[in-house]
Amino acid sequence: MKKFWILIKFEWLNFRADKGLLILTILTLFAGLYGIYYGTTEINRQQENIAALDVLTEQNIEELKAKYPNGTDAGDIGYYHTTFAVNHPDSWASLSLGQRDVNPYYIKLRLLNLQSQLYDTENINPLKVLSGNFDLAFVLVYLFPLLIIGLCFNILSVEKEQGTLPLLLSQPIGLPLIVGAKLTFRMMLVLGMALLLSVVAMVWGQVSPDMRVAFWLSVVVLYCLFWFGVAFVVAALQKNSAFNAITMLGVWLLLTIIIPALLNVYIAVKQPMPQALELTIKQREVVHGGWDKPKRETMDKFFALYPQWTDTTEIQGRFAWRWYYAFHHLGDVAVADLALDYQEGLQARHQLVEQLNVWSVPVNVQTIFNAMAGSDLPSYVSFLQSATQYHDSLREFYYPFLFNQVNFTNADYVNEPRHSFTSSPDFATVHAGLYKLALSVLLVFAVGMLLFRRIKASVK
Amino acid sequence: MIKSIAKKEFISTLRDRRFMALSIIVLLLLLAATVVGLHSYNTLQAERDAAQQTVNDQFANSEDRHPHRMAHYGSYAFRPKSSISFLDFGMDSYTGASVFMEAHKQNSANFSQAQQSSSLIRFGEMTVAFVLQMLIPLLIIFLCFGAFTQEKETGTLKILLSQGVSLRQVAWAKVAGYSKVVALVVAPAMLLASALLFGKGGFDLSGDVLVRLLLFIGSYLVYFFIFIVLSVVVSALHQRSSTALVMLLGIWILCCVIIPKASANLGATLYTTPTKAQMDADVHEEVAKGIDGHGSGQDERTEALKQELFKKYKVSSIEKLPVNFDGIRMAAGEEHSTQVYQEHFDELTDIFRKQNRISEYASFLNPYLAVRHLSMGMAGADFDHYVHFQNEAEQYRYNLAQGLNNIQTTRLKYGDKETRLSSDTWKEFQPFVYETPQAGWALTNHIVSFIALFMWLALVSLVGMQLIDKTKIA
Repeated sequence: MKKFWILIKFEWLNFRADKGLLILTILTLFAGLYGIYYGTTEINRQQENIAALDVLTEQNIEELKAKYPNGTDAGDIGYYHTTFAVNHPDSWASLSLGQRDVNPYYIKLRLLNLQSQLYDTENINPLKVLSGNFDLAFVLVYLFPLLIIGLCFNILSVEKEQGTLPLLLSQPIGLPLIVGAKLTFRMMLVLGMALLLSVVAMVWGQVSPDMRVAFWLSVVVLYCLFWFGVAFVVAALQKNSAFNAITMLGVWLLLTIIIPALLNVYIAVKQPMPQALELTIKQREVVHGGWDKPKRETMDKFFALYPQWTDTTEIQGRFAWRWYYAFHHLGDVAVADLALDYQEGLQARHQLVEQLNVWSVPVNVQTIFNAMAGSDLPSYVSFLQSATQYHDSLREFYYPFLFNQVNFTNADYVNEPRHSFTSSPDFATVHAGLYKLALSVLLVFAVGMLLFRRIKASVK
Repeated sequence: MIKSIAKKEFISTLRDRRFMALSIIVLLLLLAATVVGLHSYNTLQAERDAAQQTVNDQFANSEDRHPHRMAHYGSYAFRPKSSISFLDFGMDSYTGASVFMEAHKQNSANFSQAQQSSSLIRFGEMTVAFVLQMLIPLLIIFLCFGAFTQEKETGTLKILLSQGVSLRQVAWAKVAGYSKVVALVVAPAMLLASALLFGKGGFDLSGDVLVRLLLFIGSYLVYFFIFIVLSVVVSALHQRSSTALVMLLGIWILCCVIIPKASANLGATLYTTPTKAQMDADVHEEVAKGIDGHGSGQDERTEALKQELFKKYKVSSIEKLPVNFDGIRMAAGEEHSTQVYQEHFDELTDIFRKQNRISEYASFLNPYLAVRHLSMGMAGADFDHYVHFQNEAEQYRYNLAQGLNNIQTTRLKYGDKETRLSSDTWKEFQPFVYETPQAGWALTNHIVSFIALFMWLALVSLVGMQLIDKTKIA
């Protein structure tokens, strides 16, 4: 054990003397801090934007109150009044922004048909979302493996190339001990940094201190161990430094870029999503067709769904709000199957990723991070569902005014339902992912051990 | 002498089995990316073509309706994929595919591919451009890192120099040899891509697509050459192969992974994007200051418009006007609201352009960004093509709404909300057709990247080679 610590001590001295490694480590540390800063500012900005929506709603209400001082038909309000369905970020979202920049985090709603409003997008700069987020998850998933590669690619080969390996081995210590001590030193350094950055991010982002603290830290540790395992395997091949560097970068490229890109293609082919365009075309056709159909026909269809309003009087004249909102709702009903199909398609795509991420540890880890932060596709789908329910509750709120033909007064705004949704973590995905991650780590170390036994150590 | 050095590099590389294996993998990926890109292109294009055809037919065959009803019914613009975008998806997966075009309102482009994908898509997409931008440079690094260091380590460099050639000549000879090797890997894929493109377009392929393809291929050839020279220079500046390699890999990571993301993120941090909700609220406020097309309120501006018409036609009441005042008021309202929307849209794109400028200028630090922007531009999958499409859709929307307002003005009486014009009326309108702008237009949008790429070429060829002269041969 004493020899082990001596080796570690000399590794430290070596490391301190190597300017290149020192710069690499410091760069990674700064990248991590920038990632934390970026993630928290981005989430703060989203929170501010969400808070500003309340102001917009209030302004809209004030405007309508001024426009209709004595109240008016609720139909006018339903048409001109806008409110928002909002997807608040989870406190963990700043660590892993996931798809929160691509998918809108609020939806502007009126009482009109939902399906023409649900998919409107936020102002997004396509170049920015294409380049992706520089958040802590990116630093951990992409850059930490590169740091590990930089620290470990010549772990054994450098001793050979400098001719110091025979000297080392002439001492009463074995090769496994040398590699073990070298790896341990690097692990302490990398894990220390990864855990430090994670803790800083948690404190800075003021995350809710629940089970996820333990989950996040274990994922970080296991993921780093996985890459040390890769380094261990490559070192076991006993090749020169150049070969090791190329091989490890090749593995990194394969796992973080090529396999994910191929999986993406596979999923797009396996689970195509043609529903979106079909849905958007069909809902318009049905809603606008409502103007041309006999009013009785529309109302009968609507009353079949809402028998509680059946007794209302026959509609006279060219236009009535309750008829207008009835055919708007029938537009939603007509595409309900397609809308459900669309959401199920999105879920199916996500599930495919969860099944296939055994092929790439980084994809698995990113999936876990996003699931923990509630920033993945399923939480967006939950938000869509929540917004749909909110629209239902808005309709329920306005229907009594519309069908009983009660004047909507300025006192009635306060009773209008408001929406709030906070994406919640998906622990099932986290558990499954952790399990897979642990297995990958075991596998890679087992292979390394096996190779060290099989391949004879050469000192040259 | 120089020719024989080049030949030696070429032949010895072909004999290197490890390099051959890597080249074959890259070539296979390149071919796979071509096929995959074409498949995805065909699927999306078919989807959008079918959708566009459907909405065009629906519009032309609509029931008898009041023209303003028709203006609210509106139409859709589905963004067609540019024909060589199967080589580089660029931003296409992150931009909306469908725009609803209706009266009074400019809508967002919805349903991007990224919104319909899990976070997996953020790891990147398998396209020809991805292989060319990221993997080929890596292959080049692997090919060239030992160019000089190996000769130094084995002591052959001194022998070589004793033959009377200069270091610079040796370097250029090596560059020539390696260029040939890279051409061998890249050419089959480029040829296949061109063949597929021509096969797709038939013989009536427009000259413009050809220009785009040539510029696309040309910028990649310059890019590869930059990496070859850079790698040879770095190799000459180092004594040991492993340090040269680590240096080159570090450059690759910085250029291809870190800087692109950091510069895009920095841009977004520096220039704040306004939310759509805030923008809509601002538009609403400004539009309310103009004429209300539906004319529920009696405001001064409507009154002024009325008086103007009375003067023009020398009448004293709306009923006596030879034109329908409803339609005229609607047209005035549309003109005003469209102007307000366009101002805000331009403001927004301006903010995005400022954000993107950081990435564009970062091309001077990073040839990868230069070629990425140029490539997206030539493939018709960059920001400017996206904005161009949105503007075309907006133009069509405005003309459609005003065309229908004009019909209301000339064919319906004032106050008539009941009359339904025959379905044939809608056939008077041409359907939305989107034409991709010219290659020259695309190139002028990327003039910064273009200059940056050639600056890099000059930098590595002149300054890099000068550095070689000064290296010590131990």
